[in-house]
Amino acid sequence: MLKFLFRRLLQGILVIWGAITILFVLRAFSPGDPAVLMAGEGADDAYIEQVRQAEGLDEPLLSQYFEYLLNIMVGDFGFSWEARREVEAIVIGRVPATVELAVAATVVALVIAIPLGVISGTRRNEPADYGATLFSLLGISTPNFWLGLMLILVFGVWYGIPYPSIGTSSFSLGGFAVEYPNSVGLGLFDFPTGRREIGFAAAVSALVFEQSVSELGTWVRYITLPALTLGTYFTALITRLTRSGMIDELGKPYVTSMEAKGLPRALILYKHTLRNTMIPIITVIGLQIGTLAGGAVITETVFNWPGLGLRLIDALNARDWPVIQGIVLFIAIAFVVINIIVDALYNYLDPQVRES
Amino acid sequence: MSEPILKISDLSTSFFTNEGQINAVDSISLSIDQGEVFGIVGESGSGKSVTALSLMDLVESPGEITSGSISYRNAELADTLREEYPDAVDGAFVDILSVPESVRRSLRGPSFSMIFQDPESSFNPSVTVGEQVAEAVEVQRRARSNPRSTHAKTRGVEYSLSGYLTSAVLPSKRFVTTESKERAIELLEMVGIPDPIKRANEYPHQYSGGMLQRAMIAQALAGEPDILIADEPTTALDVTIQAQVLDILSELQEDVGMTILLITHNLGVVARMCDRVGVMYAGEIVEQGTLEDIFEHNIHPYTAGLMGSIPALDNVGGRLHPIEGNVPSLLDSEMRDGCYFADRCPKAMEECLTKPQAFDGPGSEDHAAMCYLATHEYEEEQALPDTYFDSSTEVMTDD
Amino acid sequence: MISDRVKSNLKQSLSESILPKIGLVLFIVIIFMALFAPVLATHDPTSTGYFDPESGSAYPPLGHSYDTEIAVDGEFTAVTVEANSTHLLGTNTVGQDVYSRLLYGARVSVIVGISATLLAMLIGVPIGLLAGYYGGRVDDGLMRVADTMLAFPALVLALALIGVFGERPIEIPDPIVMAGFADGMPETIPIPGTVTIVGALVIWVWFARVARGEAMSLRNAEYVKAAKSFGTSNTRILLKHVLPNSMTPIIVLATIQVAVIILLEASLAYLGFSGTTLSWGYEIERGQDYLRRRPWVSIFPGIGIMLAVISVNLLGDWFRDALDPNIDQSKRGA
Repeated sequence: MLKFLFRRLLQGILVIWGAITILFVLRAFSPGDPAVLMAGEGADDAYIEQVRQAEGLDEPLLSQYFEYLLNIMVGDFGFSWEARREVEAIVIGRVPATVELAVAATVVALVIAIPLGVISGTRRNEPADYGATLFSLLGISTPNFWLGLMLILVFGVWYGIPYPSIGTSSFSLGGFAVEYPNSVGLGLFDFPTGRREIGFAAAVSALVFEQSVSELGTWVRYITLPALTLGTYFTALITRLTRSGMIDELGKPYVTSMEAKGLPRALILYKHTLRNTMIPIITVIGLQIGTLAGGAVITETVFNWPGLGLRLIDALNARDWPVIQGIVLFIAIAFVVINIIVDALYNYLDPQVRES
Repeated sequence: MSEPILKISDLSTSFFTNEGQINAVDSISLSIDQGEVFGIVGESGSGKSVTALSLMDLVESPGEITSGSISYRNAELADTLREEYPDAVDGAFVDILSVPESVRRSLRGPSFSMIFQDPESSFNPSVTVGEQVAEAVEVQRRARSNPRSTHAKTRGVEYSLSGYLTSAVLPSKRFVTTESKERAIELLEMVGIPDPIKRANEYPHQYSGGMLQRAMIAQALAGEPDILIADEPTTALDVTIQAQVLDILSELQEDVGMTILLITHNLGVVARMCDRVGVMYAGEIVEQGTLEDIFEHNIHPYTAGLMGSIPALDNVGGRLHPIEGNVPSLLDSEMRDGCYFADRCPKAMEECLTKPQAFDGPGSEDHAAMCYLATHEYEEEQALPDTYFDSSTEVMTDD
Repeated sequence: MISDRVKSNLKQSLSESILPKIGLVLFIVIIFMALFAPVLATHDPTSTGYFDPESGSAYPPLGHSYDTEIAVDGEFTAVTVEANSTHLLGTNTVGQDVYSRLLYGARVSVIVGISATLLAMLIGVPIGLLAGYYGGRVDDGLMRVADTMLAFPALVLALALIGVFGERPIEIPDPIVMAGFADGMPETIPIPGTVTIVGALVIWVWFARVARGEAMSLRNAEYVKAAKSFGTSNTRILLKHVLPNSMTPIIVLATIQVAVIILLEASLAYLGFSGTTLSWGYEIERGQDYLRRRPWVSIFPGIGIMLAVISVNLLGDWFRDALDPNIDQSKRGA
């Protein structure tokens, strides 16, 4: 087990090194002047020259590369000349919002998908199965930004449910009146920017130290639609996998053998087949973290959710390369780390791998 | 002579597939006495395993028991059910096909138990063997200790998703209790697994096939069943291990007086283990009787053919005498009216085109065969021409 | 390349289940829309200003109307905007015909989806085949690159690539308009070129992985060994034996990847990074700010994307079920 983890860790480091290299190569061979790319949009010539000096862009590429590599190793992701801040500070400031969203979406997905997949897989060719199949087909085929807008339309606009809908995003078309509501219903949720009134940590500490539930309620209200939007694809995918996994497992001889010893159906379903179905699904969930991160970029844009994705879009609009690079690298590192954890979990759950 | 514990009459099980109706078991009747070993022997595809699964009520969709009755002698059960299901109870016998699913489910374990052909796929690979045996113990323990005692034997143990979720968090709420685990270890020891305490915590893939088959027997014994159904219990094992496993079954039968229904295609196993035998072909029991009836006084040419196809040890180098042809299609639409074996039968006659009934055989009073040869000798002038069925001449493979 | 067995499997699963039929019909409809967009369109999709003359607002779809306010002499008056019979699905916020843009959007999606997938196949399949066939260092190198590529979420990697290269549309001439079958339609349509290339760069690694796996298993196949023993060159073996026999899983993968690219293109266009405005994703973004009064601007292109992706996913499922003999062997012997 330890040996496995060590090998997996080494592999992970290799992948991260590869990711750093790819990002460096991208910048180094980008069309145009790298100093312009680093300085961000709208910088004047003197400023660009200053950036070139400060970033050492006139030095040979190889020494720039080693410099970059060393900096990242000590946690220095660079400097955003556009925002005039350290990139790592920008990234870290945006991480909680994205993590909350991603975790909430995963929870939504698991809570809905596993029972749905189990029902669908155990009642093949019944109405419930057709319903679940249709749902998962729609779920994996719907673009999530559109889904988010439709949720806002249905919940926020047509039914007037008090829910904070979108504001203008920084890159939307100018010159036309913005008609959709910034706040709907009660007018309690009139926020000019930033669609996350309160962080999870703050909400929980309010609950613990001040016995106040309203903060947590606010947090939940705010995160519901973004989490549904982000979680739908995931839900559909896991439903599909759970369904086919259950069908597969239930066809195995050990199920008949357990029936023969008189075990209750529910015990066979949950303790044995579902557990066995989940083991491979865990790996898929790990690999789909990437899709989740991509989806988060979109969802954050739709809901103006102040996470990494929204910051990435802002950086792209400002052509602020250090931030783009920092966020992309952070996501890649997170992906690698999560997958190492998932692999370790997989190893723990599957005795055949664990013991060998 | 002891009393029958199980009387099966006219049992039929069919599979309703896209290709059509498949009659896997075709109105079979037999009775099994308390404490005996009854063997069902036949080629693969003859319906032996489906018969076993029908007894256990484990036939899966699209399969279905279409007719017949399975009368099981259990005075206590009969008393419990007499008021609620008067039609199902006859004296000490209960027709288990006439009682609801929940009652039949509760019979698995304490009344009927089953061991399967392939031990490696019959255990969940990701749960320890001890745990799986203990589950079988636990489910019976709970059934017995059920406070609603009159229903205890006829209602399954309850379990739900919330139960599972709680057990994932609270070890004390786990399904399997410590007592059951201890009993599981005892059972493992009983079937001859060395160092059972250590081995109970191992996973199925750490066991050898023979050890796993022992564990499966232990699991089947957890409910102290009246009838143990063993479906090809030794087929997947090495020859030396086969003997050990058969020894365990013999001991059980002798010590506890357990009734065993042994399903096999191996006549050597039959000869060694069984008191009485039924020979199955194309979903029917074509001949049944005592071991002696079947081995010495057999009438049905199929039985004779099976005997011919055992490689005799004193005839090393001699040729096998396989039965020509294949097991016929069991598709309802393709089945003939007459004897199903006629197309492969070396002694097929014109009257074999109409279905024979089960005639008394020359052996013991139990001996019966579905063959006209039980009533009269083979008459060559009535023989069907060889080309009558246009059958394939493939050699039967016995796997 | 496609054997009779595969054909009969495809036919069988087409006749057995309704889903492949739906997929096939949807796919044909979308291809038809894309091919004949200039003929089917009622207006030039790029011409603006189709507004209700009284209010100066967008038309709703046929059969609908909505209320808005106009300023007359400094005072606001409520007016009802009625649908215009020439604009089937109404007009958008800059006064373009939604129906015509929907058709052209199908074009962009289909062209980008198919060309990016083909490009990815052209990159990934040869690399994967070579790595799998020769093994060794080439293979190790490829696997590390593949692992690294997979650490970047597709959309995030695409955004990073666009961050460096910018977004550039490619104007491609429209043969139907050039041939004079559809007067008044734009003579060229802009295809998001960067998005196509970026899409291919994002997904090629899947093709490489699948091709590698196939090549590795075929490397040891008897007929390949036999061909080697006759002195057949490796290039010939790769082209004549390995490539044709690994096509089945590659085709299944390609079908699914078309759906991935269509969603990727839509997402990038929605975020404003595709370099063209003639795209379903962009239309959704355009309607987003006016969601309450003019939801149709966003609704229709979204349905377009959804149906296109569903059709390709259904085709992918159909191919996979029909081509993979290992699936659904749940029937157990009695």
